[in-house]
Amino acid sequence: MSLEEPGPRDVGLTKAGEVNYDELESLLGDAVLDRETHLNAEAFVIRPDAVQDTLSALKEEAGFDFLNCVTAQEYQDRYETIYHMTKYDDRTQEVGVVVPTSKDDPVSESAEPVFRTADWHEREAYDLVGIEYADHPDMRRILLPETWQGHPLSMDYDQTKPQIVTLRENKNPLEEDQRLNDDSDTMMLNIGPHHPATHGVLHVEATLDGEQVADVEPDIGYIHRCEEQMCQQGTYRHQIMPYPDRWDWGGAGLLNEWAYARTAEELADIDVPEYAQVIRTMSGELSRILSHMLAVAAYALDVVGDFTATFMYGMQDRETVQNILEDLTGQRLMFNYFRLGGVAWDLPEPREEFFEKIRAFIDDLPEKLEEYHNLLTSNEILQVRTVDTGRLEPEVAKNYGATGPVARGSGIDYDVRRDDPYGYYDKLDWDVVTEEGCDNYARLLVRLQEVEESAKIINQCVDLLEDWPEEDRTIQANVPRTIKPEPDTEVYKSVEAAKGELGIYIRSDGTDSPARFKIRGGSFSNLQTLPEMAEGEYIADLIASLGSLDTIMGEVDR
Amino acid sequence: MIGMLKSMATTMKHALDGETFTVEYPEEAPEVSPRFRGVHKFSQERCIWCRQCENVCPNDTIQIVTDEQRNGEEYNLHIGQCIYCRLCEEVCPVDAILLTQNFEFTADTKDELAYNKEQLKNVPWYKDIDPLESREPDRGAWIGEGEGELDYQ
Amino acid sequence: MTLSDTIAGLLGLNANDPLQFFIAAIIASAIVGTFMLVNVAIAGPWAKRKITAAFTDRIAVNRIGPFGLMIIVADAVRLLSKELIVPEKVDRPAWDLAPLIIAGSALFGFAVIPMGSGVQVADPEVGLAYVFAVASLASIGLVMAGYASNNKYSMLGGLRAVAQNLAYEIPLVLTGVSVVLFAGTLRMSEIVAAQTETLVTIAGIGIPSWYAFVNPFAFVLFLVANLAEVGRNPFDTPEAPTEIVAGYQTEYSSVYFVLMYLGEFIHIFLGGAIITTIFLGGPTGPVLPGIVWFLIKIWAVFLFTQWARSALPRVRIDQLIEIGWKGMLVLSFANLVLTAIIVGVIA
Repeated sequence: MSLEEPGPRDVGLTKAGEVNYDELESLLGDAVLDRETHLNAEAFVIRPDAVQDTLSALKEEAGFDFLNCVTAQEYQDRYETIYHMTKYDDRTQEVGVVVPTSKDDPVSESAEPVFRTADWHEREAYDLVGIEYADHPDMRRILLPETWQGHPLSMDYDQTKPQIVTLRENKNPLEEDQRLNDDSDTMMLNIGPHHPATHGVLHVEATLDGEQVADVEPDIGYIHRCEEQMCQQGTYRHQIMPYPDRWDWGGAGLLNEWAYARTAEELADIDVPEYAQVIRTMSGELSRILSHMLAVAAYALDVVGDFTATFMYGMQDRETVQNILEDLTGQRLMFNYFRLGGVAWDLPEPREEFFEKIRAFIDDLPEKLEEYHNLLTSNEILQVRTVDTGRLEPEVAKNYGATGPVARGSGIDYDVRRDDPYGYYDKLDWDVVTEEGCDNYARLLVRLQEVEESAKIINQCVDLLEDWPEEDRTIQANVPRTIKPEPDTEVYKSVEAAKGELGIYIRSDGTDSPARFKIRGGSFSNLQTLPEMAEGEYIADLIASLGSLDTIMGEVDR
Repeated sequence: MIGMLKSMATTMKHALDGETFTVEYPEEAPEVSPRFRGVHKFSQERCIWCRQCENVCPNDTIQIVTDEQRNGEEYNLHIGQCIYCRLCEEVCPVDAILLTQNFEFTADTKDELAYNKEQLKNVPWYKDIDPLESREPDRGAWIGEGEGELDYQ
Repeated sequence: MTLSDTIAGLLGLNANDPLQFFIAAIIASAIVGTFMLVNVAIAGPWAKRKITAAFTDRIAVNRIGPFGLMIIVADAVRLLSKELIVPEKVDRPAWDLAPLIIAGSALFGFAVIPMGSGVQVADPEVGLAYVFAVASLASIGLVMAGYASNNKYSMLGGLRAVAQNLAYEIPLVLTGVSVVLFAGTLRMSEIVAAQTETLVTIAGIGIPSWYAFVNPFAFVLFLVANLAEVGRNPFDTPEAPTEIVAGYQTEYSSVYFVLMYLGEFIHIFLGGAIITTIFLGGPTGPVLPGIVWFLIKIWAVFLFTQWARSALPRVRIDQLIEIGWKGMLVLSFANLVLTAIIVGVIA
């Protein structure tokens, strides 16, 4: 840790290692207009023309090297962009940077030159809310079609107006590409939105030089359905919880539910009973296994080819987990099991039988993982294909805000479960897996090892649950039927979901549903790194890199 | 080379052990957990028309029509639009709406999946599993009431 | 005594009259062609599914007919009754001819394969050279399909197919030639005959002098080069479904697709037949009639390709070319030279 030897990046820390907001304020100087208190951290309100200076000061001198999320929203009198910043070294140190802009001229400076990850986040803010960012290299819509009229999350948006998004009116995908001139040797290839390797409706515009990739641009938004707005229409208590499941159909639904539960519990100040936390931890890790197994299985499909042996073995092993989760939650994919303040159900009776099922799975797991290692990681051809392809250097990964197995595959020791503990993780014995390889192979290894770590966690949870005294099994805290947080309370919290860090920002307005609900999907930032990995490599490596990112479009397009 | 041979040995092991994972549906009915959330079943006898299920439904799947005296007239539920979150069952104070284990429902058009209350009453139990039993055992079981007859009127 | 001669004899035709012999040969070709197509029909829609299912712990087709065998008929009807979609701006007639060439060229190869029990259409002196020549004709079909389809995926697939065939054809032929050095002839029946003697006798069981045993190194080289030649894993880059959708056959549907698919499988069986003839002793074997041994051997090679496919990842196109030119070619030359020296010393 950098605490021992104070360097130039330690400005704004107290002796105890806490964030010293006063010192940060003096660091930022006259850019600061005001201070706000969000539930997770203090935030500075700054001038819209000082975004780059502020963020680079925070990055270079105070060590806030992770632009976690960018939230944009519209108030009655102004637009606002919030940059949620934190550190890869210490997730608990957070600071918000609030950039208000006027209604008439909603332009603020872009953060893209400081953090590459701001590129897509700001495009999304422009697309959905309508704030423009000066100095942004590529200020286009990102989720909605180019021809879309208006900004759906802005206040004066007319929802009844029909939108013309036909092929003819939209940008014609068959037209001559501006990036190519006639005498060039490159060829433009559309990979997706319907392509065997894109695992969902992702469109990758690849410019090829022979078999090599000269330029890649992921084009997203095909399944955008404005989940953020759907959540803004739901009530905190019940109606939002089913939706996080739908951002990840790879099986990590419970982890996504946890992201909402954590944020809303922070917002409404709800304490979760310890017993429920253990159940959450156990079921959440089962969910992670589901997701990682699918990632590995589908990766085999990408690299091995159309013969589905490894894929089917992966599916079989997932099936066991799905059965366990079905017994527990009542559903195999869209669990809707967490509730604010706990979980919906206690473990199914008879408990011993249920524990037996989990134990049997955990006991069989090493043998099954051995099989994956035999099929994939120890196979020389797979090694030739994946080692040193799709390289993502740690500095680049940090700049793009990569998290989850993608960051850990680049040797970044970052895991929200450990760095900003929630649930029962801090009381259990497990390790954060990192691999130094920075390549496709490293990311595959990280996922396989994380399955082992998850199994370790589950095992310990089962131990705890078996011995839990019967009178102490409270599965839900006493939560009021209607939750109405104080107006203008703002909170940003995140959890370690399967694909990466899943953060949720909520601003309340005194009603029983959020005024602004912003989702930071881990895959959204991870997918943004694809051009860095794929450019200069072969098509086959592009596909392998895309598979190794394990993006899920539900989380990207939302 | 060793790794490649190990891979080939692994797949050959699977080929030779003769175990299959296929469930030969429909000859073989799949195992369904007692908590599984399938198509809804509605009991008009129990329903007190409090509209809580209608209010809690996240995507407006339930539609209730009552007269001026708040007597229930219609209870419509679009099982094709439903996201099977079970919140309606959770908030129902009298267990009038219940998610059975039945996952086998088909229709030729989307409209046919919009069930009215008669259709909802006639949804069969799956394999005679009583959903309430697995959820909150202290409440009265549904399945005992009708003795196989499904009209609760 | 070839099958053509037998048929000429049966029908009382004069084998020395070109026209009459031509009729006999046509009939013989029809018999052999049908025989191989039956094999392909079993392999494509049924056996491949069953084999894949076995590797992936599934059951696969079992609803129609005994063991689901009637799926062959059902699939044929299904595929043939589909609409033949001809994309705009395809380069006809190249686009229409490509499936015919792919399916036809491989079928020609069986003309010189001795299948045992007297089934061999012709036995020319240049048999082996002929079979290599027609087998590689398919590359022309692939490049036609890839180029004429007016589809970028098809073009990439076609280019890959050509690059791959060029890189692996040479090692394949060179390794074949090393067998010729042993046998001293290109005539298929004589290559088979040269393998009938017993090599060694271990515990009373005579190991025949199949070239697979005489020169196992050449056998492995040939097997690998053959995988690349027929485009199966780990060398299925021309199709590479997860990369370039379906490669050269992306735009083909209905009957043309059937021909493409058929061509691929005939090609696998032709590869199997060549391996059987020059390395596995052709149709020779104890007890059972020759044709049965021949079938067992070509199906064994087919099984092997499916097995390799179940477990081996696909190599990247540049790696594939590298393995071909830097690895296989050098090894096959080394093999040829060594074989030549050994044969020279022994002789």
